[in-house]
Amino acid sequence: MSDEAVQAVAKAVERRPILGGVAADEGYWAALETGEFRMPRCPDCGTWRWPAHYRCGHCGGWEQEWAPVEPVGTVYSWTRSHYAFDRTQERAEDVPYVVVLAEIPAAGGARVLGVLAGSEDGLRVGAPVSGTIEAPSAKSKGYPSIRWSLDTAARSEEAS
Amino acid sequence: MSALRGATAVVGIGQTPLYKRGTSPDPELKLCLRAIVAACEDAGIDPRDVDGFVSYGLDKNDPPKLAAGLGTRELRFSAMNWTHGGGIPGAVGLAAAGIVAGQADVVVVYRAIAESAGQRLRVAVAQDDTAAQYLVNGIDGPAQMCAMRTQRLLAEGVPRETLRAMAMASYQHAQNNPDAVAYGRPLDEAAYDSSRWISEPYHLFDCSRESDAAVAVVLVSAERARDLRQKPAYLLSSPTGATGAAAGLEENHTPYGSANFGSVARRLWSESGYGPSDVDVVQVYENMTGMGVAALIDHGFCTPETAGEVLTLKNLTAPDGGLPVNTSGGNLAEGFIHGMSLVAEAVRQIRGTSCNQVPGAGLSLMTGGPGDPLVSSALFASDSRL
Repeated sequence: MSDEAVQAVAKAVERRPILGGVAADEGYWAALETGEFRMPRCPDCGTWRWPAHYRCGHCGGWEQEWAPVEPVGTVYSWTRSHYAFDRTQERAEDVPYVVVLAEIPAAGGARVLGVLAGSEDGLRVGAPVSGTIEAPSAKSKGYPSIRWSLDTAARSEEAS
Repeated sequence: MSALRGATAVVGIGQTPLYKRGTSPDPELKLCLRAIVAACEDAGIDPRDVDGFVSYGLDKNDPPKLAAGLGTRELRFSAMNWTHGGGIPGAVGLAAAGIVAGQADVVVVYRAIAESAGQRLRVAVAQDDTAAQYLVNGIDGPAQMCAMRTQRLLAEGVPRETLRAMAMASYQHAQNNPDAVAYGRPLDEAAYDSSRWISEPYHLFDCSRESDAAVAVVLVSAERARDLRQKPAYLLSSPTGATGAAAGLEENHTPYGSANFGSVARRLWSESGYGPSDVDVVQVYENMTGMGVAALIDHGFCTPETAGEVLTLKNLTAPDGGLPVNTSGGNLAEGFIHGMSLVAEAVRQIRGTSCNQVPGAGLSLMTGGPGDPLVSSALFASDSRL
């Protein structure tokens, strides 16, 4: 590799230091950074694919487009963590905190993780949620992130 | 029927003492050697004659490192099953495939873990493949990922009490196993219920205990097994696979409350010619109780609707329960050697030497790490059930 290429790789790793998983989701983070929620879709056959991938397993296409999606869905599942695990120690002061796995119908039912923001009232599988984008912080390991909030209307319906 | 059915057998098992994580007096490689040598001695086989090596979960103790210590005459076969604890029974199957294909005669399947070798064990077993989608959003450990899956399972109607029954059965069995980490520490309902939350719906006692230890088993052909000193535990079937593999990562697999054994269980019963009602005893890999519940449902021992009736403490406990599980104490109460001790216990049940022996056990099942993107199961048999 040329010096330039080596530097480009080093810069990219510095910006997104987490190396696990398929790791084809740079477009997701890049969109959040500009304040947009975008999900990956195959431009050839239209199949949503999540986690993001390098090739469409449905039609074989190699391209990936990042389509703007309204960040609304429902709680597919959730957990309230009462313990700061080894690699998420930055959130120790927030324990206990709730992480929501939200199902997004507008993105083919993709399930997207996010830390719950605001009230826990009405937290249950199936509850409607909407997302807001949070700027990078130490807690999110320098990445921008989506935070899920329980829909207020749904909460009052639950209460009534 | 598969060509592997009954063609090989486990003839030796070796297990080091279980040390609390980080306290092993021996480094990981030495623990590994001890387990392999113990398994060979158990079988009556010279360790120098081991010519095949199989492991899983990115075990770092590769065959070349072991061979010099074992005096290996000729290293002929090595294989590693991908994934985490999900790959254990499939690793046994790789050993069998190597023997049946004539690539090796004496194959060890092993796993050694010691925290002194590197990271906290729960981080080490994650193999650095935890995606940014998790770590950015406050999810690190398997306890949290599995918690979300079990939360969904409970929301779909499986009673929460099944988790407690699984934990209590393991602890009850451990009281008869002097080698178990929880030996002398019984667990009752009140202690379970009042234990602290880890990640809901999991309490402390829903989670496995990390240990420094090693376990190895030795396989040879069925023909050779009959001439050795131990009663053979024949391998009937040990499929590896995934269900809905096209989107099986980062909490996007379906069905989500499942432990991912759907297709593997179908192949297991088809290849072995048996079904869940034929099985005498089950070693179910429980990283967390709820995942063990899902694994039992996936294998057809009950349905989500009948789980509450079937998965009771009484029914899960040897010798009288109808579905005895984790008879040495399992990952929860014996100790967690990345699940490998469950293979040894499945073999003991066939031999009749378990500390919680199921009388006359002839079909003994071990299910691998539940919920991994790739999972496997193994069914062992006595010669009367071949």
